[in-house]
Amino acid sequence: MLKGKQSWIFNNRPVIAATGVTGGPFEANGRLSSDFDVLFDDLWMAEDSYEKAHRHLLEVAANTAFEKEGVTADDVQFMIAGDLINQITPTSIAARQLKVPYLGIFGACSTSMEGLALASFFVNYGGGNYILTGATSHNAAVEKQFRYPTEYGGQKPPTAQWTVTGSGVALVKANEGKDSGKPVTTSATIGKVIDLGLTDPFNMGGAMSPAAADTILAHFKDLEIDPSYYDLIVTGDLGKIGHETTFGLLEKEGLPIKREQFKDCGMLIYHEDQPAQSGGSGAGCSATVLYGHLLNEMKKRVYKRILVVATGALLSPLTVQQNETIPCIAHAVSIEMNE
Amino acid sequence: MKKLVTLTFITVLTALLTSCNTDATQNSGMSLIQKSDPDPIILDEKSEDKQKLVSSIKKDVAKFDELYDVAVVKGEEEILVAYKVKHMQRFHMVKIEGEINKMLEKKYPKENFIVSSDYKIFLEAVELNDKMKNPDFSEKDAKKKLEEIIELKKELT
Amino acid sequence: MGNKKPESKEVEQYKQFEKNFETKRPVFKNCLKAFLVGGFICMIGQAITYFYIYFFSFTEQTAGNPTVATMVFISMLLTGFGVYDRLGQFAGAGSAVPVTGFGNAVISAAIEHRTEGFVLGVGGNLFKLAGSVVLFGVFSAFVVALIKTILIKLGAI
Repeated sequence: MLKGKQSWIFNNRPVIAATGVTGGPFEANGRLSSDFDVLFDDLWMAEDSYEKAHRHLLEVAANTAFEKEGVTADDVQFMIAGDLINQITPTSIAARQLKVPYLGIFGACSTSMEGLALASFFVNYGGGNYILTGATSHNAAVEKQFRYPTEYGGQKPPTAQWTVTGSGVALVKANEGKDSGKPVTTSATIGKVIDLGLTDPFNMGGAMSPAAADTILAHFKDLEIDPSYYDLIVTGDLGKIGHETTFGLLEKEGLPIKREQFKDCGMLIYHEDQPAQSGGSGAGCSATVLYGHLLNEMKKRVYKRILVVATGALLSPLTVQQNETIPCIAHAVSIEMNE
Repeated sequence: MKKLVTLTFITVLTALLTSCNTDATQNSGMSLIQKSDPDPIILDEKSEDKQKLVSSIKKDVAKFDELYDVAVVKGEEEILVAYKVKHMQRFHMVKIEGEINKMLEKKYPKENFIVSSDYKIFLEAVELNDKMKNPDFSEKDAKKKLEEIIELKKELT
Repeated sequence: MGNKKPESKEVEQYKQFEKNFETKRPVFKNCLKAFLVGGFICMIGQAITYFYIYFFSFTEQTAGNPTVATMVFISMLLTGFGVYDRLGQFAGAGSAVPVTGFGNAVISAAIEHRTEGFVLGVGGNLFKLAGSVVLFGVFSAFVVALIKTILIKLGAI
């Protein structure tokens, strides 16, 4: 149901029935390694190219989610997923393997919440009993496309971020009233594309901040609630700089948000001493942290209500070289514990 | 880490294998770092005059403040003059070479000089000097060696 | 391309606002690191030059070519073992400016695109990063040579 200008309320409270989270070696050394279902100790993952490894991440994550829920691919009506590689081929090829009717989406690093919002919307209105949604990224494959070769010795500035190798998928299920103790999605806000003229692809956090702030403000305005409703408001992959900037923007707009309840997935995933500069990024960043760490915390009742705001920088190597500014987007989904 | 160890091992091994394979003798080995001040060599008919000539050439060249080690080899047709330039003066090497050439041509107009500031040429001159001390090393061999040095010098200039 | 529109006030304001939160590059520290690492790489190069002068028949002038080849070979090994990109993150320009940085640019591209095959992958992308260095290096050499030739013809030099 549409609420306000750009938000949906899911009255039927679709359930996040099961999740599957996979990660690479860098994540295994990170802060949240225990929240991953499967960790690979090699970036190649026994495949012969990074793109195939990328695909493998998603396949393993999807199969883990199926196993946990005790379903097969046949029980799943749709799959809504995406990644960052050209024409989202790794996800499409994984969909070929899984044989699930498939909607490919691209929202850069906001893909995870775009997918979850759409999946929840479908399920809420009876569009399916089980919908698989998720996002994946692979450090080497993404760096190759967007930046320099992995082994190239260029110096990254402190504003740069580290692309997460990992895949997070969730199985969204229709709420039949017997799923207490599981997280449910209650509302979502779809963001506008916002571009405030930043051009540095090594400072995506700064570029994405206005989009994140805009979506967060729109969410509270549409739903007529204030930040104290949530235990945690978590952004996707803003990194240290973007996180501070967004907090500053929200304060400037007069939103009564507390520092303790405002976190960022990109800052949660790695240790301070890992060479990730400003923090993690990539489509897999918000997906792995939410579907792994944050939902586990919710099940432990650390948080009861959270708002996840995944941010995406909608750039391509071409637009960067042609001196285009970076258009950014953010989508928010509210997740609550079903008691 | 394991890879790094392997890499270091390979590097050290290569260094060891290559460095043992040398025929450089005592004096010449150190002449790059230290001042060796080799005696002038004459590969021509030995005479009092010639002896005087090379000694005076050596003295004249050594008068230049910018350099610190001079080797002179007198062949049948040409005289090789090699020297080392002081480190801070190496920017002016071309100028110094010109001045030495000019001075030598003015003072010894009859002689034919080959002047070089290259370490390698100096090194070879010192090595030749060392070898001459060995009685098995014939005059003919020495002349051949001088030819080689001159060829080396002409290679890239 | 390049036709910059006048920025709106909102954009201007946000840029100012965002600057406050940006971590600055530690310029002085980076310069120092680049100086030390760059100097160290050059020192290794100098050692290799002397190695070639001592043990092979290269003069100071001709030893440059094998030295460059050796340095590129070493940087190839370091790139392949995944060491050079870490060095690059630490040293910045110190490891990018010497010839080893050029080798790293070529070889990292070759490794990266190996999965796309030898012809279109490695062959087509080998000079992806280093290609412009080669092109503009040759072009600027041409321009400088042209200027020099014209000046000589005019009798200025």
